[in-house]
Amino acid sequence: MLKKTARFLKYLFLTIVSLISVFPLVWMIIAATNKSADVTKGTILPGGYFLENFRSLMNSDLQYLTAFKNSMVIGLVTTVLAMIVSSAAGYAFVVYKSKNRERVFNIILISMMVPFAALMVPLFRLFSKFRNLGPLKLIALNTPMAVIIIAIATAFLIFFFRQNTRTFPKELIEAARIDGLGEFQIFGRIFIPTMKSTYAAAIVTTFMTSWNNYLWPLIALQSPEKRTLPLVISAMGSSYTPDYGMIMVAVVLATVPTALLFFFMQKQFVAGMTGSVKG
Amino acid sequence: MKCRKGTALLLAGSLALGLAGCGSSKENGENQTAEQKLTIWAWDEAFNIPAAKEATEIYQSNHPGAEVDIVTMAQNDIVAKLNTSLASGSYEGLPDLVLIEDYRIQGYLKAYSEEFSDLSDVVKNEDFASYKTGINQYNGVTYGCPFDSGVAGLFYRTDYVEQAGYTQEDMQDLTWEKYIEIGKAVKEACGKDMLTLDPSDVQQIRMFMQSAGTWYTDEEGRPTLEGNQGVLDAVNTYKALMDAGIVKLVSDWNQFVSAFNNGDVASIPTGCWISPSVIQAEDQAGKWAIAPFPRMGENPDSVNATSIGGAGWYILKNVGHEEEAKTFLKETFASSTELMNTLAEEINLVSTLNAASECENYAKPQEFYGGQKIFQDFAAWTAEVPRVNYGESTYQMEDFMKEILAQVIAGADPEEVLADYQVQAEAALGQ
Amino acid sequence: MSGNVRKKAMSPKLNRRAWVFILPSLFLITVFVFYPMIQAFVTSFQTGAGNKLGWAGISNYRRLLTDATFKMALKNTMLYLVIQVPVMILLALVISSMLNDKKLKCKGLFRTAIFLPCVTSLVAYSIVFKSMFATDGFINAFLMKIHVIAEPIGWITDPFWAKVLIILAITWRWTGYNMIFYLSGLQSIDDSIYEAADIDGASAVRKFKSITLPMLKPIILFTTISSTIGTLQLFDEPMNITAGGPANATVTISQYIYNILFKYSSDFGYAAAVSYVIVVLIVALSLIQLKVGDKDA
Repeated sequence: MLKKTARFLKYLFLTIVSLISVFPLVWMIIAATNKSADVTKGTILPGGYFLENFRSLMNSDLQYLTAFKNSMVIGLVTTVLAMIVSSAAGYAFVVYKSKNRERVFNIILISMMVPFAALMVPLFRLFSKFRNLGPLKLIALNTPMAVIIIAIATAFLIFFFRQNTRTFPKELIEAARIDGLGEFQIFGRIFIPTMKSTYAAAIVTTFMTSWNNYLWPLIALQSPEKRTLPLVISAMGSSYTPDYGMIMVAVVLATVPTALLFFFMQKQFVAGMTGSVKG
Repeated sequence: MKCRKGTALLLAGSLALGLAGCGSSKENGENQTAEQKLTIWAWDEAFNIPAAKEATEIYQSNHPGAEVDIVTMAQNDIVAKLNTSLASGSYEGLPDLVLIEDYRIQGYLKAYSEEFSDLSDVVKNEDFASYKTGINQYNGVTYGCPFDSGVAGLFYRTDYVEQAGYTQEDMQDLTWEKYIEIGKAVKEACGKDMLTLDPSDVQQIRMFMQSAGTWYTDEEGRPTLEGNQGVLDAVNTYKALMDAGIVKLVSDWNQFVSAFNNGDVASIPTGCWISPSVIQAEDQAGKWAIAPFPRMGENPDSVNATSIGGAGWYILKNVGHEEEAKTFLKETFASSTELMNTLAEEINLVSTLNAASECENYAKPQEFYGGQKIFQDFAAWTAEVPRVNYGESTYQMEDFMKEILAQVIAGADPEEVLADYQVQAEAALGQ
Repeated sequence: MSGNVRKKAMSPKLNRRAWVFILPSLFLITVFVFYPMIQAFVTSFQTGAGNKLGWAGISNYRRLLTDATFKMALKNTMLYLVIQVPVMILLALVISSMLNDKKLKCKGLFRTAIFLPCVTSLVAYSIVFKSMFATDGFINAFLMKIHVIAEPIGWITDPFWAKVLIILAITWRWTGYNMIFYLSGLQSIDDSIYEAADIDGASAVRKFKSITLPMLKPIILFTTISSTIGTLQLFDEPMNITAGGPANATVTISQYIYNILFKYSSDFGYAAAVSYVIVVLIVALSLIQLKVGDKDA
């Protein structure tokens, strides 16, 4: 009886938390189907204006689809590169030990502590030199790589992978070494497949951070056809008479990729998964 | 082995994807410098952007084949990009023409006057509303072409006011005292508040001050909170409004607009640019009128005209197309009444170009406002707005003002609070 | 940091190989973070508008001492930190351990729903929050209906409640985000441990305390430090929900830096000095957290 009540309370709690969590999203979807004036008035009933709002979004000069594509390219490339580069570092900080490396790690940690706004001007000055420096022009301002390059190695991810590597069974590494696997092979063929759920969490958050990143893309990307979604959405909200219906369509569509990514990645969060590999 | 290959493939693929983007950008970059393409930055796709487009059409009809690229950005984004680029001394990606808000331009001119074009031979200051020429100059040089008027008016619901026993005649040339009296009557008769106020956005203080020809700072940029009758009266007026029990508090733009769209308030004392949002509520057609902005009765300098918002066009001379950009302004915003006529109809622009008041569209009665010729009225009030130099610290001072108002509303003595903050402001502004 | 590392003989070759894993990251971080960081530090000793900077010694730092807005921002930020981070971490932990239950139905649905706040657009969610928490909004109406309050609360207009609102908003937005780190961390706990505990008849609370918490310790440390940093750099919510108001009652340090840079007359030197105060704060806090929590698993 007690167990049943506990179970019921658990479902109740999770249901309430879920409802609170999705409410603004639902509101946003409803708002996307209404006229701007009705959104302002606070309508909570679905309307029939979605297609019209969608059409005005597509017809506006803001190149929403281009921005969507740009965000997608930047998000995917950043995520793939960051998974390899940052996870390798986080892994190495645990698997290989020496006093120096701990010190290096602590220094790396400091890099996540400065508010980005303070770094912006020096960073911009640095990037503005790349245009004329031979191969460095590949990461010059106004290229997607200028946004990607600074997000590949982050203290946040390195730290995350370092912490998770600590739960990684060391015996697996020792065994692999005895089997004659090289260090890169151990990382690629033992560590990565075993830590699927860690990678899943890191992929979701890295993609999301890149997808929502605002300040640096704003400064680094110049021409309108290079802009990412948050910049375009920000430009839409700048009006004295904003078209909320259209803006809501824009933000609803912008939510889809990360939500989908999470939905597919969460399959990795199955209880005891790593354990079974371990066993 | 399979896994490693997969990783390598993924790596190569994503690099290619990233670099592909770079390739195309390089081409664009080269094209842009080859052509003489003007770039314009502005915010508000329902207002400034259509204005820039109309201007471009005029420019292009004079110069066939000329290319103009208009970029919509949030105002805050323009400010962030402009500040970062100018501070870095990098012109890459900067526009030739940029719209800058009146409250901010003096800060730019002080820090980067050598980056802006001298427009003395393009813009004749006497052609524009005199109040606009308080801020487009620095050290005697004209750098900006005034654009929209932020002239304020008292938008009010004729039906509510009449229900409360007042006529439209009574609403003309009000003092704030009288306004509050009417507000109380409206509240009594209709149960509606007289206006909305937003404690985190105290634009009203700006309007009060400018109606008395004063500002947060003096010509040298020093704070003038203490011993400034205009500021003191503005604070007192704000408190009187709050104390009268006729205010609906809101916390953002959306709620501000929805309050009058829903008929929750009887008046909106604000800039002429609010009109498109008012008209949005089609069911209220014929129920609105616009009167001159109330004055502060106890302040002899205060007049029934003031301004809020408004911006001007500026040219960044080191970006590369200074002459073309000057020609653009000369043929459009600096002179064209034809353009102003079109924009009055299209975006409800109240121009600051004096000659615009003669435009055909300005004489048209507006059905929504019960047949009132609102453009003519706004144009007339624009001419009466006192000229004020906003300096470079408006927003910083306004953050102090929010604290001052909070304390005064809670019961502190206004003069003491202002004296307190004078010290703080001096420390913050003094270089 | 690694006090109890068993010193294992590592061949020099292996040791060198290890740096190959780390160097790419180290290189990128040095160029794109440390180099600008040093530049910013130099700037913090300069003053002037825009790019007309001159040397100012420590005057920017001295100005901090008398800057009332800065003190307010610092106080607010610390308050958010002290209250919000523990609440959120605990909530995320509880939710993720509930969701880790194999027998739970609709797991995917719950998980996705609770994750969604952090992908909800800032534009949309701030509009919703502001209208829900408006004086005549839904929340006040509801609370008055169930007789929790008699007078509507000024969620956005009262200095105290505005802070509460900011805390509610960031907790709403980031709990699901932290949850996914725990969910992924929980996967490395062997099921058999929980099963054994079940056989022993351990309660859910007991299992949480003696299995989940200790096993998740490294991840808890990670989320605590990153949430601490996130909160100390809090910007979005006070900017979009309360605009720092009423009367700077909710302003944060990051917002103040942004204001100095872009809203006021662009004082790069002073903004850098304020930033370095945060850096020092975060370094100090992180050191404490690492000291307390970073025992090798």
